Amino acid sequence: MNALVLLITVFIKVRRVWRTDNNQWQLWLRSLCLTQEGGTVTSDLRFYYSIEFLSIFFCYSIVLTWFSNVSLVIFTQSDFLVICRCINFFLYDGSKVKGEGDPTRAGICYFYPEETPLDKQELLCGQLAGVSRCVSELSSSPVRLLRLRRSKFAIRMKDDFLWALSCSVEIPDVSICDFLDQLINLFSFYNGPIRQSYQIYSQEDLAVRWTQYLSHLQGGATELHHIFSVLSTIDSTHIDPLLLLKAALILQACQRCPLVLAGCVLYCGRVVSTQMPPDLTVKVMVHEMETYKQEQRPNGLSSSSSSGSTPLSSPVTSTTVFLTATELQYLRSAPVDRESRSKSTQSTPKESNRTRKSRLLSRTLSDTPTTDPLDPDPTHYVPLSFHYPSTPQSTIPDESLFSPSPSFHTPETSGHNLSNGKLYHEVEEGVTGSSYDHSYNSIDGGRDESGPAEGGRSMQNKDLRHINGQNGGSIVLSGERAGALRFRGQESPEPGSQRMGNVKVFKEKEGQGSTGLLQADTCDVPPYSPSPGENSTEAPLLPMSLYQHRVRGLVLALLVEPDFHSNTAATEEVYHSSLASLNGLEAHLRTTALGAPGPHGPYTFAHFDCIQNTLTTNLSSRPGGAQECSFVRATSLLHSHFSHTEALQEAIIMQSAGAAVYGTRSVAQETYFLQKGGAVRNSGIPNHQDSAFSLPSKARHRLMKHGVNLL
Amino acid sequence: MKCLLIASESAEVLFYWTDPEFELNIQEQYGASQEEGEKPPAFEDCINTLFAPIIISCSTMVDRLGDSYTSFSTENNHTYVLHQFEECLYIAVNGDREEGEEDLKRKIYVMKKMIEVLFGMVTLSSTLIRKELRPQDTEQRTNLWKYLQNLLETYSRLQEQDQSFLVEAVERLIHPTLCEQCIEFLERRLVQQINSSVERAGEEVLHAFILVHTKLLAFYSSRNASTLTSSDLLALIVMVQNMYPSNINLEDTAPEVGALRVKEEEYHTLDASEDVENTSAPDIFYTPEPSPTNRDSGTDRDSMAEDSLQTLEAPPPDPSNPSRVFLEVTLKEGCYPMMPHSMYCLPLWPGITLVLLTKLPNSNLAMSVYVFLEAFAKLEKRLSEGLEGSAARGQTSIQDLRNKLDKFIRALGTLDIQVGVMYESTDSFSSYCLLSVPSLVPWCRTMKSQLCGVYRQCFITENTVGGGNPQRLSPSLQDRALTMVQEKLMDWKDFLLVKSKRNITMVSYPEFPGLIHFIYVDRTAGQMIAPSLNITDRATSELGKGPLAHFIKGKVWGLVNTSRIYLQKGYSTVTLRDGDYFFCYFLWFENETGYKLEVKDLPILPNDSAPIGMLAWDYYRKLLRYYSKSHQGEVVKCYELLTVHLGVIPTEYILQHCSQLARKLWEPSRIPLL
Repeated sequence: MNALVLLITVFIKVRRVWRTDNNQWQLWLRSLCLTQEGGTVTSDLRFYYSIEFLSIFFCYSIVLTWFSNVSLVIFTQSDFLVICRCINFFLYDGSKVKGEGDPTRAGICYFYPEETPLDKQELLCGQLAGVSRCVSELSSSPVRLLRLRRSKFAIRMKDDFLWALSCSVEIPDVSICDFLDQLINLFSFYNGPIRQSYQIYSQEDLAVRWTQYLSHLQGGATELHHIFSVLSTIDSTHIDPLLLLKAALILQACQRCPLVLAGCVLYCGRVVSTQMPPDLTVKVMVHEMETYKQEQRPNGLSSSSSSGSTPLSSPVTSTTVFLTATELQYLRSAPVDRESRSKSTQSTPKESNRTRKSRLLSRTLSDTPTTDPLDPDPTHYVPLSFHYPSTPQSTIPDESLFSPSPSFHTPETSGHNLSNGKLYHEVEEGVTGSSYDHSYNSIDGGRDESGPAEGGRSMQNKDLRHINGQNGGSIVLSGERAGALRFRGQESPEPGSQRMGNVKVFKEKEGQGSTGLLQADTCDVPPYSPSPGENSTEAPLLPMSLYQHRVRGLVLALLVEPDFHSNTAATEEVYHSSLASLNGLEAHLRTTALGAPGPHGPYTFAHFDCIQNTLTTNLSSRPGGAQECSFVRATSLLHSHFSHTEALQEAIIMQSAGAAVYGTRSVAQETYFLQKGGAVRNSGIPNHQDSAFSLPSKARHRLMKHGVNLL
Repeated sequence: MKCLLIASESAEVLFYWTDPEFELNIQEQYGASQEEGEKPPAFEDCINTLFAPIIISCSTMVDRLGDSYTSFSTENNHTYVLHQFEECLYIAVNGDREEGEEDLKRKIYVMKKMIEVLFGMVTLSSTLIRKELRPQDTEQRTNLWKYLQNLLETYSRLQEQDQSFLVEAVERLIHPTLCEQCIEFLERRLVQQINSSVERAGEEVLHAFILVHTKLLAFYSSRNASTLTSSDLLALIVMVQNMYPSNINLEDTAPEVGALRVKEEEYHTLDASEDVENTSAPDIFYTPEPSPTNRDSGTDRDSMAEDSLQTLEAPPPDPSNPSRVFLEVTLKEGCYPMMPHSMYCLPLWPGITLVLLTKLPNSNLAMSVYVFLEAFAKLEKRLSEGLEGSAARGQTSIQDLRNKLDKFIRALGTLDIQVGVMYESTDSFSSYCLLSVPSLVPWCRTMKSQLCGVYRQCFITENTVGGGNPQRLSPSLQDRALTMVQEKLMDWKDFLLVKSKRNITMVSYPEFPGLIHFIYVDRTAGQMIAPSLNITDRATSELGKGPLAHFIKGKVWGLVNTSRIYLQKGYSTVTLRDGDYFFCYFLWFENETGYKLEVKDLPILPNDSAPIGMLAWDYYRKLLRYYSKSHQGEVVKCYELLTVHLGVIPTEYILQHCSQLARKLWEPSRIPLL
């Protein structure tokens, strides 16, 4: 009964806010009944949360429907099962509330949920901002976390701005702080510096964006997604690895245009392949998701399977985005093979008179294996093998991670594809340089921070690095690069003067690019590390452009230099070179059954890759039974323990009667494992025969077939 | 950079403690906002000004949002923990990463426990405790705060250095024969003699125990005494340590180290008189002094607390004066928290102390006060819940309560205790009765605070009739007791001092290769066994000296904190591989004969629950009560074992060690406590 009253109040509230017509009103009613009948909402608390979420969800979908002028929205039941994690979020501008008489509301830039009564908004903002200021003065450092009895707030203070994000107390501290940082960075990625964006855009416009980013970041499938900041990827175990390779090749091909910094290929809101660090990929995905949703709605009903004709007026969009200097420097220096790229652009006519590259790019899968010596292990995860020293710890294993590179990538295998002696030599050079360079880099990586004394050295090393082309690359990327080189060797200019123009442009740009690179090197910028302190807010933001090419569910997103769009030659080059491959990839991905659940065994596990931010788990997205809950609880506890105890490698924790959870971590990954079922016998006293203590070996054994190697 | 602050809701500082760095920091901050040439204000005012916004915001949040702050942390890892007990807000700050949030929370709870031990039921009335913690007289206030600050520092020192305060269980000296002899001596000779003496001034020794530093040698409780809870015993050890601090660094002198090689039995004949030089005069400690009721004509008559406001200078403390402590008593009729006792600490030698706990002649009064307080609390609860159905029944019980109260007041009158206000209140009660029920609620509150006032007058200010000597065992009786025990233990003195440093050592466990350290706790008895961890530079233990021992100590301390985090969330078994070490933690239940009881899920506590331990909030007692529900008629025992192994040992062997160790250690814990 109470629930019903609550529902009705929610209705009335929502209705008041959005003044919707009767059709939608009925639709809501129907969807709500659906949730109730579903019987999934069990406890009062959960019910309350879902109601809170519902109201937000409604408002949000209404906004969307209004925008797209479509009257019918189809909700699936699973939409309602996502439990809202964020309770409150606000952005408060202290500079607007300086004097005694200034009302607190003047400082509130955004408050979520927006329908919160203004006096409650004022209370929270005023108190939290006041206390945070007082504490940060006492400690001469900004407040990071503020805990209340029933909730906790991650706080970020910068200049006069204060961001606060609250969640339930169960979420680990690290996770909530990461969440807030992501949110702030996401905002500045699309809108630029905060102060400036509030000067340019209206508060209402930005409010819509905050809501959008919030809902995007909260859209994880399971609670585990909230514990780890997960980048949702396509399930690599259920997909032909060649498709992933193909996606990687598309990105490689696009990068031949020097105006393209890096890119990623997304399918239905999941990453297929990316060249960017995970936190940047997340940012790029927001825009894709939004456009995807907006298109899905009109498309949803007609479900046009008419291939070839794109439903949108234009499949290519572009948006201005803002990158931090470190992000940009990282993108500019790392993954692109500048040296060989300039060579290919300066290529002599003789070299260029080869087979058409367009044919190669769109080659069918059937011919890939025969010509492709690159992928000895099809289970190897191709697209996300993108490594960069994100944290001080991860610089250490770099060398060991990369060491297989030369042995695997033998000159012979790549050589037989190359008709050009020069390129052959180049590849070899790259390969031999590779191991040297990596070891060098890993030393350098440590030293770069220590002082500018190393500047000269890294200058010396620059050439090698450029030839190698992927400071911080990996096995597969180096393989791909060889592939890319091969293309280049065989590429031919587009017929006509357009191609010539391209070359000119490339030459010019290349000159700029390399000087920029030189400067970056001499400035001795520390290696890319998304430390919370220097995030977006600290470093100046540089405007770049986000290019998106959509083929139904598939999106090619590229971060490009701002003048890319004014350069029609470059745009067309990129567009045409990727169009066919994208269509092909999309067709293949569509036919592949996506999201098929992994093999369910008598165990639950979660495997988090800390470098790529990917999660592999057999935990279903539906709220599970007691054992699933206890698994999530244990995982969150262990994750926060791991995050603040550096030396901790593995742990087994056991409830007296309940099941035990085994957690293990290395610098690159965290794995959690729970054994289910009747085989569990734990005595509760110190007893080495308890099944809990055999978990490590069981986990090693069982997870092999999920592609998780714990050895 | 550490600080602990107690403030009232109106942002008045009731107590503060800071370390020098924090004090400096505050002064610098305050100095910045201060104009030049101005005299720097009192530190108390600085701290008040700087914390006031937090305190006020805290009460605003409670009032308007029904939620309160529990902690803040900043980017440079400063941690602030806040906790509100009734109307007192406790704030603990750490700025040097030495203490985490849980440590600070524990500190707050321990502070509150110490205040309860010192002020008893006065803490139940927020107005009274506010006045008690912040006497108007500056000197008195300084003395009180100084005492509390010392107490807090003593606790922090013990918590950092002593394993028994780390796990919050009493450590006993493992020497069964001597222990038994001492108990017998305490029972047959000491307690009997004192209790039959005429000089005891009506007091009765209930408990007597001998402490060697922080370790318990012998404990005797008289037959009609209730058991002393572990929580209270630990609090008393902190107080004793505060009076007669044993500085571990100073006392680790060379002869003691050499003495290890000497057989224990022979050792006590050796001379180790160097130690005696360390005799330090007992610290000045706060003892509630008797005060003649000194009524200022200007004070508000309605307030009882003002009545006995001390304006006279406190006489220098007399060591033979006992400390008034308030401890829990469990009798057949029920459980009475915070019953007044007198604690006599008689220093036998430096480091060895005899403690006597006596019952006061008028302690029945405290019980009555408690019974009334409970009755009023219940009544208030019922009234404010507004149960109409029970109104009729409530009426009769109110009448009943009133009659009892009248009797009590009459009895108080004969004791010459100021009860005038209470008379007025009860008189007005009749008229209240005619009014509606809600108007009785404030009356309940008034009555409660007046009861606390009576209690305070009886047990804190010790309003002795006729003004003579304060209530205590006569000094000559105390002297005699001291000499008796000194004579008895003379030969053992030096042995005991060494033994307290080397209670048990890892050398005695050769059958567990790779085992570095362990702690075994019997939570039912509140006792622990662990090899000594000596970290001073002069002492060499099996762990070596200096850095390595410090490292292991750090690991052990960290492990205890970690295990508590998991225990709070219901995990009773934890194994961790941390660098080169392997840690295990187990908590389990047994019956009296050592037979393992079936497993049952532990309760999962909310994040803001009290810290797990025995000193401030007895988690284990609640756990045992929870567990006993399903094992009625059986004695349930709760044990904990923590081990630190070398990581290279195969896990299988480590776990085998753990179960063997638990079996082996089970025996010594059988040494009778009483």
